[in-house]
Amino acid sequence: MFKVNPLRKRQFWGALIGILIGGGLFSFLSLDSSEQYVSLGPMNSGHDGLSCVSCHADANGNLSQQLQSNLEHTLGMRKNSVDFGTKDVTAQNCLGCHDRPNDRHPTYRFSEPRFKQATQTINTTTCITCHAEHTDKRVTINPVDYCMNCHQDLEVEDDPVDVTHMALVAQEQWSTCIQCHDFHGNHTYTVPEKLQDTIPLKTIQVYLDGGEDPFGTNKKYRGLSEPEWIKTLQKK
Amino acid sequence: MKSLEKKPLLTVTVLILSYLLLNACGGVPEETATNGKDEENVFSVAEVLEMVSKENDVTRTLYTKAIVGKGKLQGMKFDEDWRKDDVEAGPLPALFLRGVATSIQKGPVPLGLYLGSDFPINNANKFEGKQAELFEEIKATQEPKFFYDESQELHTAMFADLASAQACVTCHNEHPQTAKADWKLGDVMGATTWQYPKDSLTYKGTIEVLNAYAKGTVDIYMAYLDEIEAFKNSEKPIIGTKWPAEGNYLPTPEVFLDSVRKISSHETMKALVAGK
Repeated sequence: MFKVNPLRKRQFWGALIGILIGGGLFSFLSLDSSEQYVSLGPMNSGHDGLSCVSCHADANGNLSQQLQSNLEHTLGMRKNSVDFGTKDVTAQNCLGCHDRPNDRHPTYRFSEPRFKQATQTINTTTCITCHAEHTDKRVTINPVDYCMNCHQDLEVEDDPVDVTHMALVAQEQWSTCIQCHDFHGNHTYTVPEKLQDTIPLKTIQVYLDGGEDPFGTNKKYRGLSEPEWIKTLQKK
Repeated sequence: MKSLEKKPLLTVTVLILSYLLLNACGGVPEETATNGKDEENVFSVAEVLEMVSKENDVTRTLYTKAIVGKGKLQGMKFDEDWRKDDVEAGPLPALFLRGVATSIQKGPVPLGLYLGSDFPINNANKFEGKQAELFEEIKATQEPKFFYDESQELHTAMFADLASAQACVTCHNEHPQTAKADWKLGDVMGATTWQYPKDSLTYKGTIEVLNAYAKGTVDIYMAYLDEIEAFKNSEKPIIGTKWPAEGNYLPTPEVFLDSVRKISSHETMKALVAGK
């Protein structure tokens, strides 16, 4: 029925073994239990239990449809290309669990034209600028001097701090900001009035790297767990 | 390759079969954003942003005068830290607008709304660049300004934000962080900036923009009522059909929105009918 040319035997077996190994690997890596092997790296702090699909949702259509649509787009027969395999992960994915009404620096605010210059230096319109995923950390931006991009003109009336905010700005002590203020403002804690009482930078760095939270555990809002997030989808 | 050259028929057949197989399922349908594909665009983005901006003027004035202004006379508190657990207060008008903007941002309508000034309480809200230039003109004429933000590919409009109530003037003049303490009624205190990605909208798309704004109003007002519910030390106003002018009362979100619609509906309806 199916005859292999004796001169092509090596290619035949090579191709067959390749297809079998490829198929086997594809099947194995498609299993839920194999997600750790597909992941680009360990999940960030607090994301340990998440499955891939919570961020990487399947793209619209099946693979054949996606291939066809992108081929048509390449040939100019279609206006837009489509996501292939999985949808692009955007800040909206993050906000599905982390959106909070008390966010001091919500990403959408930085879309306003007046932040154009600042966002060219540090793109705060998206979460991954500071929270790149698959790094086993909490915050990936370094050094922690990002406040300087917007708060150069900071003045505080009746400044309660022993070294004033204006003096700290003048001395370009930008890393001191985070020693008192968490960027998103979700922690409820008493801000110190003496510089020596602030959280040491080393402790902050441990926190940013995924360690203990020096601002305390008293938070007004908490990020949703995967089951809680799924419930919000079911309500929609 | 040589063997394929010898079999042109096979090559063509494989190509045709591949094409058919690839097209067997049809492509992924093109997305048509929020507007219907066959519906005609009847409003320019400037017209729509003017409509929604007028609704915003009415809403903010009502909130500032009837809720904040009259509410303060009844002993109600309004604070910039109103979200904090240890603060039992409602949102100040600027934060009310911020709340509306946040709600819009969460929804499917790609409308951006921001508030800024040349003398803001919070320096982070100070206009810079193009907005600062246009704001100088707005202050002089009180006329809106429109431009296309090429870097973000967004149609942008700025509208004067006036000191429409004594509460605006008093609060800003007396605020410890104020950069200007001689505001007067009627002054251009700032400007709202609105952004939308398309240059024109269908009737349906326009209604969606207006509804997104109205929903934002209800969302932030409900958040305020939720905060009141959690008050431990302050007297809670009675929520119903009455307003603070009548005593320690607050209207329900429905009553509040109804009042906004009663005031603004004539203007908005005129614009909508004119475009149809």
